[in-house]
Amino acid sequence: MTAVVVLIAIALVVGVLAFIVYSRSRQPEDGVASFRRHIDALSPEARREVIDRVQNARETGKGK
Amino acid sequence: MARDLAIDLGTANTLVYMKGRGIVLNEPSVIALNRQTGEVLATGREAWQMIGRTPGYIVAVRPLRGGAITDFEITERMIRLLLQRVGVSRFTRPKVVICVPSAITEVERRAVTDAARRAGAADAQLIEQPMAAAIGADLPIDEPVGNMVIDIGGGTSETAVISLGGVVALEAVRVGSFDIDAAIQNYVRREHGIAIGERTAEEIKVAIGSADPIGDDSEAEVRGRDLMSGLPKTVLLAPEEIRFAIDDVVSSIVASVVRCLAKAPPELAQDFLVRGMYLVGGGGLLRGLAQRIERECKVPVRMSPMPLEAVVLGAGHCIEHYDALKGMFMGARR
Repeated sequence: MTAVVVLIAIALVVGVLAFIVYSRSRQPEDGVASFRRHIDALSPEARREVIDRVQNARETGKGK
Repeated sequence: MARDLAIDLGTANTLVYMKGRGIVLNEPSVIALNRQTGEVLATGREAWQMIGRTPGYIVAVRPLRGGAITDFEITERMIRLLLQRVGVSRFTRPKVVICVPSAITEVERRAVTDAARRAGAADAQLIEQPMAAAIGADLPIDEPVGNMVIDIGGGTSETAVISLGGVVALEAVRVGSFDIDAAIQNYVRREHGIAIGERTAEEIKVAIGSADPIGDDSEAEVRGRDLMSGLPKTVLLAPEEIRFAIDDVVSSIVASVVRCLAKAPPELAQDFLVRGMYLVGGGGLLRGLAQRIERECKVPVRMSPMPLEAVVLGAGHCIEHYDALKGMFMGARR
């Protein structure tokens, strides 16, 4: 009985530790990933579509 | 399902970008109302044509002045009408990103977002005009280099230093191209004794206005009302006169650019010498302005390829990449 309780306690402690390690390792990764995503979305390649769309519409309008 | 929208709510013009489509509306920020009933009679270009030419019961107004909202209720009605015109209703609830001057107050921010939500937007976010302008001017703001953008609008002039997708330094003055028009009106009244309207003043600015000598000495014929006799009168104006008339306004814009340069960290400041500064906004089209800023700041000044659309293009890009760029919205950073 005692062994079972000890095993459960160990499993709980390991679980909590694993969760802490996991969440700590995730936090900076999330920051890095979201900053990367933010910067990538501002790259000239990402912006090309919007600028081309408006430029084309402008040229089509001038041609009319 | 309505497509998401980006709105450049400018003092002079309002532009709307629709996700996946491009610019779907570009009209003056003017609304004409019946003074007695408060009913909206016209908006945009139609209302602009009424400025200074209305009978007593009609009033054509710009709800934004000096980059600030002068009348919340009228601004709200204008936003609602704009959204209706591009297909927003209670059943089609798009996300909306609105560009506003960086200097607007908390109360004004809330008024703009509330107006957009009441008009049918599912979510309304604000973005600072110089940030949107830098995105729309196609500057490499994703890199760790100094990008400087000068946005001269109808009521405000904002200069920002941007690096790695964020604002590093910002300087804004509540002075813009409408102040240039007002300075021309005052000069003509004072020196020639004739009264002219704001549209005539704008025409003079476009015809012969300049911020620095540009080697063009063609004069402009101006018609107005003689202040002494009350009769129509014509006078000839020279470019030097207009340059003198608008010098105070131009000087205050240039001074704000200098202040922003002084705020920039030294590592970024050296980038400006190589990359230059970029002019956007309708006020940036004033002849000789780039030359004047360049002369006084000793930094090259370049004109953005689409100066009038740069701000809405930047906001349009934010609506296209809403999730990745939501950290740039004004509420997100506080």
